[in-house]
Parts: sequence; C-alpha cells; structure tokens
Amino acid sequence: MNLPARIGFVLAFAAPLAMAQAPHDQCLTCHQALGDEPSTLFQHDVHFRHGISCADCHGGNRNSEEVEDAMNKSAGYLGVPKGDAISAVCAGCHSSRSKMSQYGSRLPVGQLEMLSESVHGRLAISGKARIVQCTTCHNAHGIVSPKDPSSPVYPLNAPTTCAKCHAQASYMRLYDPALPVDQIEKYRTSVHGIRNAKGDPKTAQCTSCHGSHDIRSAKDAKSSVYATNLPATCAHCHSDAAYMKEYRIPTDQYEKYARSVHGVALMQKKDLGAPACNNCHGNHGATPPGVESISKVCGTCHALNADLFSASPHKRAFDERHLPECETCHGNHEIVPATEQLLGAGRGAVCGKCHTAGESSGGYQTAGLMRSLSDSLLLEEGKATALVEKAEQKGMEVGEARFMLRDVHQSRLESRTMVHAFDRQRFEDVTSKGLKAAAVVSTEAQGALDEYVFRRVGLGIATLIITILAVSLHLYIRKLERKQSHASVT
Amino acid sequence: MNSLLRRAYNWLDERLQLESLVKFMGKKYVPVHRNSVWYYFGGVSLFLFLIQVITGILLLLYYKGSDQLAFESIQFIMSKVAFGWLIRSIHSWAANLFILAVLIHMFSVFFEKAYRKPREITWVTGMLMFFLALGFGFSGYLLPWNELAFFATKVGTDIAGVVPIVGKPLMKFLRGGTDVTGATLSRFFGFHVAVFPGIFTILLGTHLLLVQRQGISEPMGHENQPGSERKTMPFFPNFLLRDLLLWLIVLNVLAILAVFFPWDLGRKADPFASAPSGIKPEWYFLFMFQTLKYLPAKFVFVDGEVLGILGFGAAGLLWLLVPFWDARSARGESNRFLNYMGLFVVVYIIFFTVVGWIA
Repeated sequence: MNLPARIGFVLAFAAPLAMAQAPHDQCLTCHQALGDEPSTLFQHDVHFRHGISCADCHGGNRNSEEVEDAMNKSAGYLGVPKGDAISAVCAGCHSSRSKMSQYGSRLPVGQLEMLSESVHGRLAISGKARIVQCTTCHNAHGIVSPKDPSSPVYPLNAPTTCAKCHAQASYMRLYDPALPVDQIEKYRTSVHGIRNAKGDPKTAQCTSCHGSHDIRSAKDAKSSVYATNLPATCAHCHSDAAYMKEYRIPTDQYEKYARSVHGVALMQKKDLGAPACNNCHGNHGATPPGVESISKVCGTCHALNADLFSASPHKRAFDERHLPECETCHGNHEIVPATEQLLGAGRGAVCGKCHTAGESSGGYQTAGLMRSLSDSLLLEEGKATALVEKAEQKGMEVGEARFMLRDVHQSRLESRTMVHAFDRQRFEDVTSKGLKAAAVVSTEAQGALDEYVFRRVGLGIATLIITILAVSLHLYIRKLERKQSHASVT
Repeated sequence: MNSLLRRAYNWLDERLQLESLVKFMGKKYVPVHRNSVWYYFGGVSLFLFLIQVITGILLLLYYKGSDQLAFESIQFIMSKVAFGWLIRSIHSWAANLFILAVLIHMFSVFFEKAYRKPREITWVTGMLMFFLALGFGFSGYLLPWNELAFFATKVGTDIAGVVPIVGKPLMKFLRGGTDVTGATLSRFFGFHVAVFPGIFTILLGTHLLLVQRQGISEPMGHENQPGSERKTMPFFPNFLLRDLLLWLIVLNVLAILAVFFPWDLGRKADPFASAPSGIKPEWYFLFMFQTLKYLPAKFVFVDGEVLGILGFGAAGLLWLLVPFWDARSARGESNRFLNYMGLFVVVYIIFFTVVGWIA
C-alpha cells in the first residue's frame, strides 16, 4: 500500500476509533496507525502524559482528520523543526514559568539561556545553529524525566550520552582538536566510573562536575571545573558528610586543602600553577594515588625533589615499610609550607618519627646536622637582609649586595630541595655556598653602614675647615677694607 | 715664606707680565648699591659650572655610555670608587644649583636692564648659555639610564616631535631613531660631554671677556649721580675675595646636600616595561610641562600642545632678543611694562613649578 492509500485507510477506519478515546489527538491517531517510530516513542513521553500533543511542537491542527488541513503550513504547521528551531520549540514552554506551572512543573525555566551561553551554545560548523540542541541529549520523542533510569541523561546513562560526541575523534576535531576524546575510557577506570557502571547513580558522572545546560570550557573562569573553582566542585559531594556516609571516606579534604600551601596558592593567590584536586587524583580517571605512585604524582611538579628522593636511601626504606613517600613527611591534603621546622629530630620535626638517637645508621645525627646548617643559613640570610635594608634606608648604594641576596636565598631553596637526597655532604655543599654568599653580603652592607658614618664625620670636618676658611676670609676682607678706607682718608 | 712667594711671583711676572694684568684688574670697580647682591650670582654660576667640569671629568673616568653598561657603571661609581658617591652627588646637585643660579642671574640682569646698550651681546651669550644649560640638564638626566630618566626622555622628545614641520625630524635626530634606545644614550652622552661643553666654552669666554672689557653694569640712573654718591668697590681684590667667600659657602652647601641627600640612582631602565606613574621632567622644565597639561586638546584648528610649544618658543625668542626691542631702556628710560612682564614670568614659573611638583 502506498502512502496516500495508507493515509486514506487510516482516515477512513482508524481515526473514528481513536476519536472515541479522550483526549483527542488526531496527529497521534493517524501516526500510530502508520506505525512510525516517533508516535510509538511519544506514548512513553513525559509530555504525552501531560496531554501535550504532536501539534504543540510541530504545529498544525490536531483535530482535523484531513491531511491537507491538519498539516497546512498556512495554518501554522511547522513540520520537523530544524537547527535552533528545535530548541526554540522546547523553550516555548520550558522558558515560560506560567506555561510550566499549567502543567504543574517546577523545573527551572532558564535552560535554553544557559545552553546558549555554554560551550555547546556556540555556532556549529554549519554556521546556522548551535552545536547542541535540547534533543541532542534528551532525545526528541520518548523524553522522560532525568530521574527515570531510561533517560539518556539519567546519571548512569549520562556518560554514554556525552561520549556519543565526546568520544568521537572525527567529530570533536571539528570543534576542538586539542580536546582529548578518551574521557569515557578514563572515567570507566576511575572510582566514580567503576561505581557508576555498577549502578550507583550517586557517584559523580559528567554532569556532576561540568553542569548540564551551562557547561563551559574548563579554561573559562566561570566554569565549575576551572582550576580555582574545581576544589569547591569536588567538595560539593566530598564535603557532604551525609551524602558520603555510605562510602566511608573522610569528608574534611576540602577544609584541609583550603589551609594547605596548594589551596592558599590556588584559591587565595589565584596562582593557576598550584594543583587542584584533579592534578593529584586525575580528573576523568579520578582515583586516590597509591602508596607507590605518590612520589610520581608529586614529582610531576616537584620533579627535582622526586628524583633526589628516588635515588636516596630513603626510597628503599620507605618501600620496605610501605610508607607513602612524600605524604609520610608532608601529609596529603593539608600540606603546609615546608620550613626548617620539618627537619631534624626535635619538636615539630618529622625525621624523629623513624630515627632515634641510638641507631647505628647515623640518620639521627645527619638529620640534626642538616637542621643545624639549615637554621644557620636562615639566620645568616635574615641578618644579611636586615643589614642591606638598613643601608638602603640610609640612602647607601648597596644594589650589588641586594642582588647577591638572591644567591643566598637561592642556596636556601636549593638546600630545601637537597634535603630529599638525604646526603650529608651534598647538603653541606649547598648550605656552605649560601653561608659564604651571606657573609659577603653582610660584609658589603656593613661596609656601607660604616661608610655612612664616615661620610658624616668627613662632612663635619670639611664643614669645620670651610667655616674656618670662610671666617678667616671674611676677617681678611674687613681688615683689607679698613686699611683701604684708612688710606683713602689719609 | 713671603719672600719665597714674592720670588715665585716675580719669576712668573717676568714671563707672563702679570703686573699689567693686576694693574688692569685694580682699575676695575664694581658699583655698590642696594641691589649689588645680585652681582654675585654670575660668579656663583661660574663656580658651579667649574665644579660641573671638574666632577664631570672625574665621572668620565668610570662612566660607560652604553645602554648595557651605563646604569651599572654609575652603580659602580656610587658603591666601589673611592669618593665616587661624593663626585656623582655633587655633579647632580651642582647641575640643579647651577640652573637655579643662572636663572637668578638672568632675572637680576633683566630687572636691572643690564642688557641695554652696549651689553646686548653679553645678554645674548648669557641667554644662549642658559639654553645650553637646559640642554646639559636634559642630556645628563638620561645618562644614568634609569627608569625615570628613560621615560622622562621619551616624554621630552615626544614633546619636541610635536613642533610643526621640524618636530619629527628633530625627534628622530635627538633619539637616533624612532624610539629612545641605546642610540639615544650614545648621542646624549656625546652632546653632554663634547658638543655642549665646546659651544659653552666659546660662549663663556665671550661672555667673560665682554664683562671684563665693558665692566659691570651700573643700575639705570646710577651713572648720573654725583661722584661723591657713587659708591664702588675694587674688583680686585675686594669683589673677588667676596666672591671666593660665597663660593666657599656654596661648596659647603653642596657637600651637605651630597651627604644628607645622595642623588638616587633608581632602577635600571627597561624599554619593555610600562611607564611608572607620575613621570615628571626635572624641575626647571616643570612649568612648561604643567602648562602643556592644562591646555585644551584643540584650540580652534590647532592642537593645544602645538600651540603651547610654539608659544614657549616665541616667548623664549622674545626674551632672547629683549635688548633689541626694549628701546626705552636703551635710551636710559625706565620701562614699567617690561618690569611687570618680568614679574609675571617669575610668578608664572614659580606657580606652575610648584603646581607641577605637588601634582
């Protein structure tokens, strides 16, 4: 049977049967009779359940049995919307609070606006419409609530829905060739992805971190995954004790991180070089680093420290005792600035956790010596800086000494790095270089201060000599003029 | 001791005929009146110029005139060379005091109408030396190659570039290119230590020769007074000894300034850095700089800045040529208009300098 004959059949026999059921929707009646997929799917659609007809989106006359009348373009029939017209049709209701209220919905009404401002709202390569329309993620017919497990945006389905585009290299290349397309693969290896695959809808999936309608590029400062916003995004779940209760993991990571040297640098000083959660845990493949990989993770930034540590005797000792490398001394989320206090065996120092005074390895003594050298360098740097500042305040030119102070500071930074070699000789070499530089700076600055005194004393003597000369000259002029005056009178 | 000095003098006299010079100087008299004090500023200017020459030569022993080394060489002079700090500070302070002394000397001559016939050439040579002194200041300011000097020179040469027709070529000539670079420093150094001193020496020689030849100008009407009321003082040794006394005081003031307010070196110029806020020229250019800031962007069809520069140029020319158009003074008559005009110029300069300084 060809199409006009089928339509004729439907109108003659099936339509009167359908009209007997309320509410009457002639579009659906005919299309059901045709057995097409959209009408089949639409019967499970949340919109169908709320009495919304095909004509509400496609236009036309829902009551007319005549094809020409029902699908008359002059009477408002739209057909299948294309491009931005798709989202515009959805927004006809979804952007109207009053219309949404009529259907008893409390859904937010700004989705299209958010979509338009999002990275998906940019123009597609066609140049005629947005990259993403509502139907791209929610489907066109058979739309169900995101809470419905059959929805493509239900938490368990969202990763697959996003991956339809984001895992397609040929498609993604058109918009952002630099963007990886392996997020879904990484995600499936992450703690979040594994639990999601096992059917846990509470674990984070794409929209939990990136948002849904308002997704922005990770480079956009307004993005929820922009470096400075990311800790708060992770904390949204990980700091919620009630939400995280069943996972039995701590919920104080954010608080600790915010106090840490990394947290302060990133969130307060807005230093984008400082790590956020994802820099250590991974983002799409987020998982806690294992004991054996901590130094590698920290070493991505602290490369020299990691290399020195890996070549040091501590590497083997830590491995044997299953101690996490950097974390054992520095902690994890609450990493405080590494000061001299960490070194040695005294109060606040970490070496004493393992090393004792009576041990044969000499580690305890080495730790004490390194602390002593470190303290000396800090003290000498402070003294030299104070002397330079004092000389500068007195207007003395100590630019060279000021420049050389950098060498002292550099040596101190180097010594902090060299600690990780746990090699007494190498540590002494670095600190002695700094101590020598500090001595030169102090001598130079002290010389300038001595010069300052010398100048004033010199000025006093010069003033005295000049004053004597001036007074003598004045007296001589008076004597001379008296003599001249006497001579002119006589 | 006295006989030894006498013998030395005689030895020199036999060869240089000093006696005739002493006799010539002994016949020279300086008028004494209520404004005699202003006569000393010529001598003070000369003394400060000599200090500039001596300290400048000493600085030349260590200074390196390239953008890579200039700042470091002055840093070296200030911190490593024995008394280098003193020489550099005195050079900088004396430069400013020199311009101040020259300004006072110029205005005293102006108000006394000492430029009147037959001293027109003395005035013109003096004025030209004043312009050269400003040139010394402008070129010397860049030599440390520090941040302030770099940007002030940029602004200064930009202003020169605004002059119609000759402005752009002049700016390019001053800068040695389109921008302030090491080439600018090299030529400013050349102007400062070779070109300007050469011209200045000729002008100074002429100026001093004329002063000696024509004698010191008397105030208007002074020469008409009866001989008994016309007080004078021998130039040698009375006036010269008083000059020496003042020079000693000036020397001490310079030493005090150098020790208590050593001339700051600042930070090395970075052509790629943005200009620091509050860039100002040296104080003696401030009144012109401040005036240009207050001028409207457009004045009828002419740029306000162009008009300002042309205005200052015209005023400078008028000032330079005052002996040739002030006919009343030339006839020995008082010229109140010029007195009020001079007073206005003094007040204007002081007012805008202070405003510029505060701003």
